[in-house]
Amino acid sequence: MSERPEGRGGLATVMQRIGRSQAAVIAVVIVVLSAAIAAVNPVFISLTNLFAILLQSSVTAIATMCMVLLMVSGGLDFSIGSIISLSCVVMAKLIGAGYGAALTALIGIAIATACGLINGLIVAKSRCPPIIITLGMLYVYHGLALNVAEGKFLSLGGKFELLGSSRLWLIPVPVLIAVAVALLTWTLLIYVKYGRRLVAIGGNEDAAFLAGINIDFHKITAYTLNGLIAGLAALVLVSRLGSVISTVGADYALRALSAAVIGGVSFQGGKGTVGGAILGVILLGVVYNAMNILGISSYYQSIVLGAIVVAAVVFSNLGALRMRR
Amino acid sequence: MSEAIISVRALDKRFPGVHALKAMDFDLSPGELHCIVGENGAGKSTFIKLLSGALKPDSGSITVKGARYLEITPHLARELGISTIYQENILAPNMTVAENVFLGRERTRGGVFVEYARSRGEAQAVIDGLGIPLRAEAMVERLSPTEQQFVKIVRALSSQPAVLILDEPTAMFDLTEAERLLKLVNDIRSQGIGIVYISHHLEEIVRIADAITVLRDGVVVARHESGQRVTPTQLALEMVGRPVASVSRTERPFKPGEVILRVRELRRTPGSQPISFDLHRGEILGIAGMVGTGRTEIVRAMFGVDPRAGGSVRREDKGLEIRNPTEAITAGLGFLTEDRQRTGLAVSLSVAHNVSVAGLDRLGRVFLNLARERRLVQSLVDRLSVKTPSLGQEVRFLSGGNQQKVVLAKWLFKDVDILVIDEPTHGIDVSTKAEIHRWMREFVAGGKAILMVSSEMPEVIALSDRVIVIRGGAVAATLSGDEISEERLILSSVGRAGQEE
Repeated sequence: MSERPEGRGGLATVMQRIGRSQAAVIAVVIVVLSAAIAAVNPVFISLTNLFAILLQSSVTAIATMCMVLLMVSGGLDFSIGSIISLSCVVMAKLIGAGYGAALTALIGIAIATACGLINGLIVAKSRCPPIIITLGMLYVYHGLALNVAEGKFLSLGGKFELLGSSRLWLIPVPVLIAVAVALLTWTLLIYVKYGRRLVAIGGNEDAAFLAGINIDFHKITAYTLNGLIAGLAALVLVSRLGSVISTVGADYALRALSAAVIGGVSFQGGKGTVGGAILGVILLGVVYNAMNILGISSYYQSIVLGAIVVAAVVFSNLGALRMRR
Repeated sequence: MSEAIISVRALDKRFPGVHALKAMDFDLSPGELHCIVGENGAGKSTFIKLLSGALKPDSGSITVKGARYLEITPHLARELGISTIYQENILAPNMTVAENVFLGRERTRGGVFVEYARSRGEAQAVIDGLGIPLRAEAMVERLSPTEQQFVKIVRALSSQPAVLILDEPTAMFDLTEAERLLKLVNDIRSQGIGIVYISHHLEEIVRIADAITVLRDGVVVARHESGQRVTPTQLALEMVGRPVASVSRTERPFKPGEVILRVRELRRTPGSQPISFDLHRGEILGIAGMVGTGRTEIVRAMFGVDPRAGGSVRREDKGLEIRNPTEAITAGLGFLTEDRQRTGLAVSLSVAHNVSVAGLDRLGRVFLNLARERRLVQSLVDRLSVKTPSLGQEVRFLSGGNQQKVVLAKWLFKDVDILVIDEPTHGIDVSTKAEIHRWMREFVAGGKAILMVSSEMPEVIALSDRVIVIRGGAVAATLSGDEISEERLILSSVGRAGQEE
């Protein structure tokens, strides 16, 4: 009885095109913004500065892949900032205790993976909203990091410097790691059965359940993978720093969430692309960098970034808003 | 009888594709209990929605207490004292009885501060006046369904209405609970309130009604005033009305194949009736019965979506037990749910994603062969003639009929042997409906089987090889071949067939 009138087809296709082209809009914004900044200060488009932007964005880019993976499957993890911090301080502590770099890195990644597994188990088995569960876990992991660091700066003794500062074919290694993580995430979501099932769960959990998909297994493993990627982000982060404190990764959860949202990844699940999210990361990187180059006070940076996030979400919601009338 | 409190004249309402109510006349006096009966989709709900202001009539008039209106708004209905209790639960479970009773009309001091003690007192007064054992401070979520129904009635009565509309108030109740409610309705009538009462329980209707209006396809086909004797059978026949021959039941010899699915002593809750039946190869088995009798619940429990209290479901030829959806799908079953938007499709995903989701194993062990996916999905889209601009189109932009075809395609992609279909053509236009019906016959012709729940009698009659009629959560009758007639279905659904055989 509630047949959709056929006349809506035209409007619907237009809305859809706008929805799909959010990534394209962001790309245009990046290019125009870059041109404008370069016109004011040509230093911006020097190769050195462009690489600096990518290098500064590498940790955010990796953390953003955590968000993409989870948000596409209808999940969310607010605690990755704390997970990254915990992993970092544990690695620093191990280095301080005389462990080798390779073993330290492995343990650091393993700890982050375990944190992800714990989040996944709680979210899947309790069926509570991940936003609340992971908010709670944010404090738990933060508390653990505080205990490990005991409020001190922990030196890394230059053990990971090689990883952070070396280049391969002119490209900084952290950037290469970020690119690799992004490519793997992209492949997973498009070409791998497991990833397709995550998307299906994000699209409609009830329908996925009725299609025979094991919801708990996929949720738990997705959060575990998310922890693993957060561990990689922590490794790249320590490789770029001389020493760490217990809040070293705190910013990355919100930064990654912002980048994903700017890039068109939906809170409702089932929607979002790795490409879009990476464009979101680059936009954030360009804006940070430009404000530094142009000497804009860091007090304003937060305001500008927040405004971009809000604008991106409002824009991506325009289609849905018009559909409702 | 005294002056009519409501007089409806030539009330008319159309929806796209359906003429829901045709020139309806209706009168109600104070203290009168007027029942409206009819099949699913006869226009009963449309009528009460027009009275309560939930819908706007296309033409006709509604005269309330002498004033004539062309349209009733929810606000006007409240001012006129027309109070409606719908089938769906409209209570806030996290609040007390008293809070629910005065929801939206909170008893306040200075219009700001809620006076809990006063609202509790006033609510309790109404409750005690009706002689119901209910405490005003009880939390609604802790109450039984009957008690919740009482709360709705208390809420409706607390506004001192002139007219009370009840939409299937006893649909979910067992006999004793229904008795309690009927007694209450009787008390309310004696207070001089006019009552419009909708129910499928014809027995209770002939017992309590002052007047009965029978609706069929949006038309009043019979009226029984107080004093006239009428039997449930007579009402049922009036509800069916149309010559049975008008429903095309394609002639086909029923030659059941081997049993493919065996359901034994299936219980949803420890208290529910056990259900047993067999599904054969080459068969469409219909599950009929009035809305709210537990048909959907039975197939959901069968597929393992909801937990069950006991019994077994077995893919007989393969010897596979089915306890959850994963096992059901492994055993070659597919489930088209009643609500395709909520549980059948991921509407924000593409046609291709939706079609392949249950059968991704066909596309590779770890990596997906996307070219193969496109090819297979395209061939299904062509076969079912799904109208979509591309395989990448988001499903939400398709029409209801095409969405249903996408769900069908999903299970064809999975290559299932047994399809469980709940309301195969709900809200779907006539031509697509015919396509889906034709397709269902084709499906079973190849030795597969369909278990179909449907509220539409013509659909049940036209498609089913056998029919199980559900009444009160139990199998009331099993019909096959020539026994499958509209009359027999109705009579078994409302509970007369047994006595008359």
